[in-house]
Amino acid sequence: MKKMLLLLLVLIFPVMRAQGAQNQDAPTRDAAIPPDIEKLSARAKETVEVTMDGPMLRWASKFLSAKDPDEQKAAALVANLKGIYVRSFEFDKDGAYSPTEVETLRSQFRSPGWSRVVGVRSQQDGDNVDIFFKLENDKMAGIVIIAAEPREITFVNIVGPLEVDQLADLGGEFGIPKLDQKSLSKAHRGEQK
Amino acid sequence: MNKNLIPDNDANRMDEVLKRALRREHAPDGFADRILARASEAALSARSSAAEPILAGSWPRFFTQPLMRWATLTALATAMILGVHLHSVRRERARGEAAKQRLMLALRIAGSKLQLAKSRVNEINAGQSEKPEDKE
Repeated sequence: MKKMLLLLLVLIFPVMRAQGAQNQDAPTRDAAIPPDIEKLSARAKETVEVTMDGPMLRWASKFLSAKDPDEQKAAALVANLKGIYVRSFEFDKDGAYSPTEVETLRSQFRSPGWSRVVGVRSQQDGDNVDIFFKLENDKMAGIVIIAAEPREITFVNIVGPLEVDQLADLGGEFGIPKLDQKSLSKAHRGEQK
Repeated sequence: MNKNLIPDNDANRMDEVLKRALRREHAPDGFADRILARASEAALSARSSAAEPILAGSWPRFFTQPLMRWATLTALATAMILGVHLHSVRRERARGEAAKQRLMLALRIAGSKLQLAKSRVNEINAGQSEKPEDKE
């Protein structure tokens, strides 16, 4: 009887151990998320946090359906990406965050290697959107979007090679019209002036 | 008193009959062996009849054989391993679906913010293209 129990343990132990190892797989936090932005979550009414590094992206994309056109495009889009990081905070009143906090966030991407492609300031609605491209060897290696609205701040960091047409797909996906490349380049020129 | 009821002759005859009936005789050959054999048979049958209602034609008797015991153990172990594996596959799938939803959410948020930028850029462009016309 003891032998049988021992045999059972020997057979089951490796399986249990593998299970335990899987449970230890915690999402790794990348330096791709500015630490300052996390402070805003304390004041936010609603928070959306998505942290997906390379292995997690590849793993998640395995579950994207080839039959669903949206998911098919999403799979093609994330195929070469190294990570997607999103922080979105919604506040219950205006002025829950200071312009300085947003400016601190933006300043982290005003460094060599980063190029500010779009910067929109709307006095009327208070919607401010900044889009930064990371270029490596004249190729896009990442994109950061900082959208500051009166009651919402959204930070998106997509790390990895992203073709311009893929970016257009991203903008035009899920029922949203595609980004007009001419508009983007005009805006870029406007910023440079 | 007895002397009054039974005559002496009759009493003597009865004594003789009793003596003959109760006289010691040697047992036939093998008598003791036969008795012991019967006794052991009876004990065996009593033991088996007590056990049979539980074991006869039932599963426990099936498992008394060593080979069957090992086969059962192996089958149980296989079933347990398969169960754990299936459970992990199911859990993996659930986690994958959740990760997919997070990915789609991230892409939707990114897409919506790009759309916001696009609409603002279009507004600026529209404003710029209207200005020369105003001048005219």
